[in-house]
Amino acid sequence: MDLDESFSSESSVDSDEELQEAFAAGKLRPGLNLELPASSKTINNTAGLNQTLLTIKKNLPWLERLDVTSKPATTHKDLISQSETDVHDDFKRELRFYCQAQATVLEVIPRLHSMSIPTKRPEDFFAQMAKSDDHMKRVREKLVEKQTAIERSEKAKKLRELRKYGKKVQIEVIQKRQKEKKEMLDAVKKYRKGQKDKLDFLENLPGEKKNSQNKKSADNLRPNKKREFKNKKFGFGGQKKRSKMNTKSSALDMSEFNPNINQKKPGKTGKGKPKPGNKNKRPGKARRQKAKSRKK
Amino acid sequence: MRTLMPHAKSESKMDKKDQLFVINEMCEMRNCSKCIYLEAKKKQDLYMWLSNVPRGPSAKFLVENLHTMSELKMTGNCLKGSRPLLSFDQEFDKEAHWSLIKELLIQTFSTPNHHPKSQPFFDHVYTFSIADNRIWFRNYQILEEDGSLAEIGPRFVLNPIRIFEGSFGGPTLFQNPHYVSPNDLRHLMRKRGAQKYMSRIQAKKSLEMRRGQPSYETDPTDDVFVTIRPEDAEEDS
Repeated sequence: MDLDESFSSESSVDSDEELQEAFAAGKLRPGLNLELPASSKTINNTAGLNQTLLTIKKNLPWLERLDVTSKPATTHKDLISQSETDVHDDFKRELRFYCQAQATVLEVIPRLHSMSIPTKRPEDFFAQMAKSDDHMKRVREKLVEKQTAIERSEKAKKLRELRKYGKKVQIEVIQKRQKEKKEMLDAVKKYRKGQKDKLDFLENLPGEKKNSQNKKSADNLRPNKKREFKNKKFGFGGQKKRSKMNTKSSALDMSEFNPNINQKKPGKTGKGKPKPGNKNKRPGKARRQKAKSRKK
Repeated sequence: MRTLMPHAKSESKMDKKDQLFVINEMCEMRNCSKCIYLEAKKKQDLYMWLSNVPRGPSAKFLVENLHTMSELKMTGNCLKGSRPLLSFDQEFDKEAHWSLIKELLIQTFSTPNHHPKSQPFFDHVYTFSIADNRIWFRNYQILEEDGSLAEIGPRFVLNPIRIFEGSFGGPTLFQNPHYVSPNDLRHLMRKRGAQKYMSRIQAKKSLEMRRGQPSYETDPTDDVFVTIRPEDAEEDS
C-alpha cells in the first residue's frame, strides 16, 4: 500500500510529459530502479531444524565433546560492547574472539583439574608439533626483524629530534654572541664620542681575563714591529713570483675608480659647472679679422 | 587443517563431475560418520560442506578470509593431535539453525577422548563466534593456564548458505537470506564500474543541455580595447 501511495504522489508531481522528456534526455533508465530481493527465497524451517537437531544429538559425556559456550572474559568489557556494532574494525573483532577463548580457558581448565585430568604438558614430554621447528624459527626471525625495525625507526626519530634541538641551541649561541659584540661596539662608539668617560665596559667582558693572559704570551712570541713591517713590505715566506700579476679580483677591483673624475669628458676639469666669465675665450670672427688688419 | 585433526581420514581428490552423493559411499567405505568436503570453484571461491554422513543433515558454507597456518604472523604452536577445546559464542543458542550448525561443528571438530593418534593434553582452543551473520573461526594456543593465548591459525570465516536435511542433498531446512554468492558480488562490482563511465557521459550530456543560449549576440572583439589603467589595476590588487 505504501508503495502505491508513493507512486501516485510521484505521478501527481511529475506529469507524463515531463517524464517523457526526462526519459528522452536519458535521465530515466530501467537500470536505476531498484530490484527488490525476492522474499520467497528465504527458507527457515525451524521445526525441521529442531527435529534434526534432536535426531543427531548424541548423549556423550562432556569429556568427549569438550564444547563450551562462553561469554567473552570480563577484562575488556567496555571495548567489547562497542565492538558488537562494528565487524570491520579488525582490532576490536579479534579482541572479542580472544576474550571469548580466554573465558573458555578460564572455565575449562579448572573443570578438567577437578576431573583430575592432566592439562599441561610436562617439560620433558616431546612430541611432534603442529608447526615444524623450521617454521617456528622463521616465525621467530620475523618477529625479531619486526622488533628491530621498530627500534631502528624509533632511534632515527630520536636522533632527528636531537639534531633539531642542537641546531636551536647553536642558533641561540650565535645570536647571543652577536648581541654581545653589538653592545660592545656601541659602548666603544659612545666612549669615542665622549658620551662615556669610563672604560669599565671592557672589564665586564666575559672571558676577558683569559684573553689578557693569552695576549701577553702571544705578544712575546710575535717578532718585533720592524721585522713585521719589513715582512709586509718585502714579503716573507710563500711564493714571490707572479705576486704582482693581475688576477681576476684585482682586475675587477673598482675601488680606485671614481666616476666623477674618470668618466668626465677630457678638458672639463674639476668639479661643478664651468665659470660664466672665461678669460681665454676666443673672440668672434669679425673682431679677429679686424685685429689682423690692424697688425698689417 | 588435517594436522590439527588426528581423527580425520583423508580421501583422494574427487572428480568434479561426480555427483555429491558419491561422497556418502566413500565415507561409508572408510567407516566415517562426519565429512568435511572442501570444494574450490573458479580457482577463487572455496565452499565447505559439513555433513553427518548416512542420514544428514548437511550444511554448505562459503569460506571467506582464509589465512593458513603457514602464515608467519601467527606465533602460537601446539602439539600435533592434542584435543582442542571448542568455544562457542552465546549467539549459537539463540536460533535454531545456529544451534544445529553448532552441533555439527562439535561433532566434526572435537577429537574423541583417548583417540589413538591424539595427545592427552589440552593446549589449544577453537573459537567459533558469530558476527555479521557469519561464523568466525580462530585457533588459539594456551600459553599459560591463567588465560594468556597466542594465535596458531588457521583463521577463516564461514558464511552459511544452506542447511539440507539429507547428507549432500535432500530438502532445504534453512537458507541464509543474507548470503550473496561471490559471483553476484563480482557481477555487481563490475556493473558499478561500468555505470561509473555511463553516468559520467550522462552528466556531460546533461550539462550541455542545461547550458543556456546566449541572449544577445556580441562581437567578442569588442572589449579588446577596454583596458584598465595601471593606477586602477594597482588599486584593485
